[in-house]
Amino acid sequence: MIELKNLTKSFDQGQTRAVDGLNLRIRTGEITVLLGSSGCGKTTTLKMINRLIEPTGGEITLEGENILRQSPVALRRKIGYVFQGIGLFPHMTVSRNVEVVPRLLGWRRAKRRARARELLDMVGLAPNDYAQRHPRELSGGQQQRVGVARALAADPAYLLMDEPFGALDAVTRDSLQKELLQLQRRLSKTIVFVTHDIFEAVTLADRIAVLHDGRLEQVGAPKEILTAPESDFVRELVEKPTRQLQTFQEART
Amino acid sequence: MTLPADLPVRVYQHLVLTGSAVLGGVLLGLPLGILSHRVASLRGPVLWSAGILQTIPSLALLALLLIATNSMGFLPAWIALTLYALLPIVRNTVTGLDGVPAGTVEAARGVGMTNAQRLVRVELPLALPVIVAGIRTAAIISVGIATLAAYIAAGGLGVFIFRGISLRNYGLIFAGAIPAAALALVVDGAIWSGEWASRPVRTLQPAWDRILRPLALIPMILLLAPLAIEGGMRLSRSRPDVVIGSKEFSEQLLLGEILAQTIEENTDLRVRREFGLGGTMICHAALVNGEIDIYPEYTGTGYLNVLQIQSKGPLETEKVYKTVKEQYQKKFDVDWLGPFGFANTYALAVRQKDAQKYHWTCVSDLKGRAGKMTAGFPGEFMERADGYPGLSRTYGFSFGKAEDISPDLMYEVLQRGDVDVIAAFSTDGRLEAYHLRVLKDDRNYWPPYDAAPLVRRDTLQKYPQLETALGKLAGKIDAATMQRLNYQVAGEQRPIQDVAREFLRAEGIIPAED
Repeated sequence: MIELKNLTKSFDQGQTRAVDGLNLRIRTGEITVLLGSSGCGKTTTLKMINRLIEPTGGEITLEGENILRQSPVALRRKIGYVFQGIGLFPHMTVSRNVEVVPRLLGWRRAKRRARARELLDMVGLAPNDYAQRHPRELSGGQQQRVGVARALAADPAYLLMDEPFGALDAVTRDSLQKELLQLQRRLSKTIVFVTHDIFEAVTLADRIAVLHDGRLEQVGAPKEILTAPESDFVRELVEKPTRQLQTFQEART
Repeated sequence: MTLPADLPVRVYQHLVLTGSAVLGGVLLGLPLGILSHRVASLRGPVLWSAGILQTIPSLALLALLLIATNSMGFLPAWIALTLYALLPIVRNTVTGLDGVPAGTVEAARGVGMTNAQRLVRVELPLALPVIVAGIRTAAIISVGIATLAAYIAAGGLGVFIFRGISLRNYGLIFAGAIPAAALALVVDGAIWSGEWASRPVRTLQPAWDRILRPLALIPMILLLAPLAIEGGMRLSRSRPDVVIGSKEFSEQLLLGEILAQTIEENTDLRVRREFGLGGTMICHAALVNGEIDIYPEYTGTGYLNVLQIQSKGPLETEKVYKTVKEQYQKKFDVDWLGPFGFANTYALAVRQKDAQKYHWTCVSDLKGRAGKMTAGFPGEFMERADGYPGLSRTYGFSFGKAEDISPDLMYEVLQRGDVDVIAAFSTDGRLEAYHLRVLKDDRNYWPPYDAAPLVRRDTLQKYPQLETALGKLAGKIDAATMQRLNYQVAGEQRPIQDVAREFLRAEGIIPAED
């Protein structure tokens, strides 16, 4: 379990608050989606969990331990991270990219190779075809599959995903979402997933945390969010797609 | 045109110089570049300092390092070239590292790399093409500037260029310049192909590419080979017994060669030639430091310029020789051996037809027209104690214009009419060949300049046979002979070795041909 307690990140000596007193429990084995529009602090929150960004107030505990008392390097190696805009290393082969964390952890070469093949297989990339390619030789969807494989390589209990499918076309995004859910059924990781897309949130989430202006608006199962919005912001967020759908339907008839 | 026999040696020296300088530049520049990339406050000062170094004129930097390191040859040349290599390497390292996408850097941090791991595994590999471009620039600059290293006895292809200028031998200049230019291209290409070999290989590349990649490393390895050989040799090398130096003009080169052949043929000592050193002070420093053991010098130069004795009134030949001999022994532990038998004095020279027209016979006669005349003086003459400032003080006039000019080109320039008067050397064969008239020094401004070999005293003690061998040269070269020999070298462009050998055989100093 990851627990955010009164988490705050401010810039300009406290004038701007990207994240403002956030309290949230992220349950083990669930997909928690941080949902909000750009600038709401969802990515900042995510990056504070593995200390890519240091909080200015509050604390984060991982299984009861304060992460600020842990070495950031060791912390990051036990949390998988899938980056926005992919973040593969362009000078390394697909296999080497997947092996990055195992290598940092000092695994033997043969074990690393085998693990990379296993994971590529798991994300639907035939190892014989893809292991020795370079990222630029893959499509966007294939690259992000590698990104997921890399995050899973050392079998971390936690996975942070920062709008991983944001740059992909709708069809690819749809299939990757489905595959992620299938994977999750087998692996039961604790996943924090950031998105601004409410459909993606509803598709993937066990629980959704809606963020607005650095504050938590509401947290709950997708159904709760959709049927019982607790604030104007969440209501607007939920109703807008419904209205758009109506407009769409009217245009067809 | 035949290629100089020592071309391979000079190419080798050039490669050693360039290679070690680029290596030095990388070893120093890469860490500096990385540091400037990571520590923002260092970036300005580091790039600024490297930039300043780049603007120091090469010859000035070489001369400064000569003094600072108190040695000549490889060490100061290497330091100078390394400093010049620094700017492109540092700058491209910073630029290359800056160019690594922020997302990739964050990904490296996010997967749990330490700062060092991120640098070595992600940032440097991605910045490599830009860094290598900087190294290529540095290498090309080094190949070019290394030609100047000959000026301080570091060898290389510049030796031919300097020698060619001294002897007015364009073939020699090309023998230095063309290989240097070719070398720059070869070095550039070799580094490029080395970088290409290390680039990531695509899966779907043709078979020839896979075969070619590892082969592309070969040129770079071949270029680095001289460096390894030199390193090995320096560890195990036996120094030659005697090193002979000379200044950069043709008479000095010829005298140096005469000294060298005399020693080689009359003793069993091994001789190394370090001819063409850039001027009196460099030769003197080299001799005192023990970089060279022997070089030919002129008594007046030692008296006025090295010992800096203020002269009053006319100086007698014997008195000057006695003074320099005593003072050099006392101050520098250096001995003046018996003079060759000629004096090579400075002398103002004009075109013969001008001399007839204006009835000039001595220097004082110039006074009336001096303001309208352009003088061409060697650089050294502009500054020396026995040079232009003193001349104009003694005679009470100065010339309308005075231009710096190479001592070996001035005769031709005077004849062509670009200048009207030059500070000639009285033994130069071209005075006669170009119909020039030497004006009499009627106020005895110049001291006598008797030429003689200068030898370190500890070398003489170690090899007493040197004194006997070089003694054979005493009094053997009179002014007319020297003028004739000089003309054979500078006018007829005969090889120095041949002119020296022919003379020494004729005099019976070395055995005649068998």
